[in-house]
Amino acid sequence: MKPFELIEHTADVGIKARGATLTELFENAARGMFYVIAGEGYKAQGSKVEKKIEICKNRDNYEETLVSWLSELLYTFNREKIYFNDFKILSLNDSALKAEAGGINIDLYQSNIYTEIKAVTFHNLKIEEDVDGFSCTIIFDV
Amino acid sequence: MAQAFDGKLEKLDNFRWKIPQTYKSGMRVPGLIYANDSLLPGILNDKALEQVANVAFLPGILKYSLGMPDIHWGYGFSIGGVAATDPEDGGVISPGGVGYDICCGVRLVRSDLTLDDLKPRLETLVNELFNDIPSGIGSSGNIRASAKDEEEIFLKGAGWAVKKGYGVKEDLECTEDKGSIEGADPSKVSKRAYERGRDQSGTLGSGNHFLEIQIVDEIYDEKKAEAFGLFKGQIAMMIHSGSRGLGYQICDDYVKSMIGCLGKYNISVPDRQLACAPINSPEGRAYLGGMKCAANYAWTNRQCLMHLARNVFEKVFNKSWNSLGLKLVYDVAHNIAKMERHAVDGKEKLLCVHRKGATRAFPPGHIDLPERYKEAGQPVIIPGDMGRVSYVLAGSPGAMRETFGSTCHGAGRCLSRSSAIKACHGRQIDKELFNKSGIIVRAKTRTTLAEEAPEAYKDVNEVVDVVHGAGLSVKVCRMRPLGVIKG
Repeated sequence: MKPFELIEHTADVGIKARGATLTELFENAARGMFYVIAGEGYKAQGSKVEKKIEICKNRDNYEETLVSWLSELLYTFNREKIYFNDFKILSLNDSALKAEAGGINIDLYQSNIYTEIKAVTFHNLKIEEDVDGFSCTIIFDV
Repeated sequence: MAQAFDGKLEKLDNFRWKIPQTYKSGMRVPGLIYANDSLLPGILNDKALEQVANVAFLPGILKYSLGMPDIHWGYGFSIGGVAATDPEDGGVISPGGVGYDICCGVRLVRSDLTLDDLKPRLETLVNELFNDIPSGIGSSGNIRASAKDEEEIFLKGAGWAVKKGYGVKEDLECTEDKGSIEGADPSKVSKRAYERGRDQSGTLGSGNHFLEIQIVDEIYDEKKAEAFGLFKGQIAMMIHSGSRGLGYQICDDYVKSMIGCLGKYNISVPDRQLACAPINSPEGRAYLGGMKCAANYAWTNRQCLMHLARNVFEKVFNKSWNSLGLKLVYDVAHNIAKMERHAVDGKEKLLCVHRKGATRAFPPGHIDLPERYKEAGQPVIIPGDMGRVSYVLAGSPGAMRETFGSTCHGAGRCLSRSSAIKACHGRQIDKELFNKSGIIVRAKTRTTLAEEAPEAYKDVNEVVDVVHGAGLSVKVCRMRPLGVIKG
C-alpha cells in the first residue's frame, strides 16, 4: 500500500493518501502535502525543530479535522519556514487531534521549493474505509 | 480522478451549451456553458461541468450557473465560473466562489516605446525586472507596511500606494473600483491573515503569476484601441498577481467557518467547498467585509508591482516613466464577489456576482466606468500563455444581458501540472521559447517553466473567439510576449 500518490487535477494538485489506521492516514496525508510542496528527493538543510500541534475545534467529523491538521502544518511552514518531514499523531478522535511534527528550519527563498500551496481545500473530501484501511483524496489549491 | 461529464448538454447555438436543470436533483437553475466545437471536447473531459451543476444548488442563484470558455476543473466552483445570487431571495455568498487568491487579477501598462526602441535593451530589461521584482515562493518585498499601514491598505487599497508615492492618481482611475472597493472591514480579518499579508506587498508570487513585456501585434478595433491608448507595434507590460498569503488565509478562515452555516441556515450543497451563508446574515456580511480587505490589498499589490517595474524601466532607459508613456491602461480582478446592479426580468436588482476565474466586462456607457472609457467600454485584459498571445477586449452589452457583466479570464489550463512536467521532461522550455520565438524567459525554477509551458494551456485565440462571437466582449487588440518573468 502506497502511503500517498499524486492524482491528476487540471488546475491544482491532489493526493490520494492511505493508512491502515486513521492515525496513519493523517500522517501520510501530511507526508503527501510536503511531497507536493518540495517534490521528490528534496533534501532540507538547516537546524532541526519539533512542534506540538493541537486541533480541538472541529465539528465531529474526521474530514474537517484532517483539513485543520494539514492547514496548521501549512501555516507553520509558511510562517516559520519549517519543512516538516516527521509526523507523529499522539491522539485523534473525530473532533480533536494532538501531534508532534518534526522538521527543518529552511531558507525558503533560497531553497529549490517551487510549489506554493495556497490552501488545503474541502473539495469532494471524504475519508473512505475498506479492507486495507482508510483512504482520502485531498485537493490543494496551488 | 478526472472523468468525462456524464450528462447531456443541449446545444443552443454555436457558442452556447446548456446543462439542463434536470441533470441533478437540487439544481435551482440550469447551467450555461460558452464554448465552440473545438473547445468542447476538452471541457467535457474534466470535472468542470459537474462543478457548474453543483454551483446551481446555491440558494438565491439567478438565471444560470455560468461557465466561460476557459472553464476547467477547480475546487467547489470551476475556474471560469460565474454565479449571481439575489440577497432578497435568500441569496448566498460563497468564499469558494471567489477562491483563495482573492482579487487575483491582471493589469496592462502601455508605453510609447516600439520594438526598435526596446530591442537593444530587452535582455537587460528582463534581467533587471527579474532582479528587482520579488517573485517565487517565500519572497518578501521591499515595500514595507506597518500594522497601521496594513489597515490603511485594507480600507483604501491602491490609494494607499499612491499616497506613498508608488504611482499617480490617474492609475486609480484606470483600476476596477478605483483600486479600492467600499465596505472593507479590517475587524473581519484574522490575526493570522494580518501576519501573512504584512511582508508580501509588492511581491509577484509564484505558479501562474507573471510579469510580461509584450508587443501589440494586431488591432481589431482601431477606435477602441485608440481610446485605450494602444497601437500596433507598441510595447506594453502585463502584470498578473493577487492578494498573496493574506487572501489565502481569509478564504481559508471563512470556508471553515461557513461549513457550520450549512446546517444553521439549512443549506444543502453537494460539495463542502461550496460552503456559504446568506449575504444578509452576520456570517455573510463578515466574509464580504474581510474579502474586500483582501481585494484592496491585491490592488495595492499590483500597484506596487507596477511601481517597481516603472523604476526598472527608468533605470534601463535612463528616462522617467512618464516620458516613456508607461501609463496604466486598466486593472481587472478575476477572482471576486461583487455587489452589483443588474436587470433581472426587466427589474433592476442589487445582486452578489461571484466571478471565479472570470472578468467583469461592463459595456460602453456603464456608470462605473471612468470617463475616458465611457464610449469604448471597459478594457478587459486576457492573458494567454507565455509562448502564444494575450488579448485586450472591451466589455459589451451582451455580457450585461447574459452573464451579469462577465467574460472569460485567460486561456485556462488543459494539462495538469504533473502532466505538463511529464510532457516537458528533458526539455528546456526557456531555450525552446527563445529559439522558436525570441522570447526571453526568466523563472526561479525549471519546474515552474515546465508547469507553465504553453502546451499546458488551451489556445487563448479559441477562448477569445467564443466570447467575441457570443457578444460577451469585443476583440480590441492582441499582444505577443517578448520577455517573461515567472514567479
